Parts: sequence; C-alpha cells; structure tokens
Amino acid sequence: MKKEAHSTLSEAEIIDLARSDKKYFGMLYERYFDQIFRFVYMRLGGQEDLAGDLTQQTFIKAMTHMNRYEDRGFSFGSWLYRIAQNEVSMHFRKSKKNQEVPVDEGRIKDLAEEVDCSGQMSIEDQEKLIQFINELEQEQQDLIELRFFQQFSFKEIADIYNITEANAKMRTYRILERIAKKWKEKR
Amino acid sequence: MKKFVRNSGNKSLSPSEEQIRRQKDFARLHHSYERLHKRGKKPLYRDPKLFLLLFLLGIVLLLILLESEK
Repeated sequence: MKKEAHSTLSEAEIIDLARSDKKYFGMLYERYFDQIFRFVYMRLGGQEDLAGDLTQQTFIKAMTHMNRYEDRGFSFGSWLYRIAQNEVSMHFRKSKKNQEVPVDEGRIKDLAEEVDCSGQMSIEDQEKLIQFINELEQEQQDLIELRFFQQFSFKEIADIYNITEANAKMRTYRILERIAKKWKEKR
Repeated sequence: MKKFVRNSGNKSLSPSEEQIRRQKDFARLHHSYERLHKRGKKPLYRDPKLFLLLFLLGIVLLLILLESEK
C-alpha cells in the first residue's frame, strides 16, 4: 500500500522528500544506479569493483549535497552524471600509472567520419587517431569520450557541463577541427 | 592517467546485468553515509583543538569575571 503511494510520486516530490529523509533517496538510487554504473564502468574501461566504488561514492556525494541540487532545467540524472564525471576524472588524476580504456572499432570509425578521415581505415590508422585523442587535454578528451565513445547527445553533454547545447556543439567541433588538422599534417 | 586503446579483443565494454546487480546495494550506501556523517563525529574530549579552544575561552571568561569582581 505504502509502496503504491510512493510509485505515484513525481521525481521532484521524491527529491524533496529525500532532502529531509535519506530513506527516500533509495528511490532515486533505484532509478539511476544502472545508468550511472554503466557510465562509470565504461569510462574506467571495465573495472567492475572500482566502478562499483566510484558509483557508490557518487551517490554518497549526491546524498550529502541534496540541498545543493536545484531543478533549473537540468534533470537530477544530469546532476548525478556530473558528480560521476568528476569522481572518475579525480580518480584518473590521482592514479599514477596509465590506465587503458578500450574503445570499440565502431566508435573509432564514427569519430573518423566526423573528422573526415574515414575511407578505408587500417588498424594503424585507427591507432593513430586514438593516439591523437590521447594527446588532447583532459577536458577535451572527456568531451570526445562522452560524444563518440559513450554516444551521448549534445543535450546530455550540455546538461552534464551546465552549458548550452550550442556551446557543447561548438566545443566538440573545435576539437574535431584540431584532430582533422593534425590528421592531415601527419599523413 | 587515462590512455585510450583500440579494443582489439572484442571484449564487451558494457557491464552485464549480473555485474550491475552485484554492485547495486542501497543498504551498503546508506550504511556508508551514516558512518560518514553521523557516527563519524568526534566527541569533544577526542578533538584536542576544539577542546583547547573551549578551555582557553573558559579561562579568559574566568579571568574577566575575577577582574570585574575586584
């Protein structure tokens, strides 16, 4: 009976309840865990336990700072993605050894199409393109990763970075231009 | 540091449902939150800085009181 009443609550109502009683946060956890875990897992290149820890850390931070969340057109999910994004970036910054993050061939080809270097891509070409990505600054890498490797829409990226969709597009295309230029120079 | 590499082994890059189920545990999260925010608070006698500050404040107040009585 009580559960039925809970299921009819809107997200905004659950968020309000979770601010005063952390037990209600469980409903948000249930709703968003899978997608946040998937996001973190892929960003870490498939390290299950580490992804589990960073996802838990993301939710603990969200639970702690519930009062800071304001619905200004950005969904609660975007806010969680933003926290998760920071947690993963912080992990990579702290980590001293290089951690490999595998990228599927299909995703590399999507990126290649955008930078106009598709055609017949050999394995060496794909590795060269990946190398260019690795040479980018951290923030630029993150943007390329979200757009091409995790296949986020510009709207989703904009929500994570708290910027407009047009700005997200502009930033991404500037990076792509840079990669295209490098590609032409080094071929 | 992160380094992208080509996924040569055709390894699945998404977690399985089983992996998601294994990691999803609200009770553990709630417990960690409680431990961090509630039980983590140090009692006054175990926080030397705060204890010293209150002690000095007490001494100052006492001295002021004694001085005003004179």
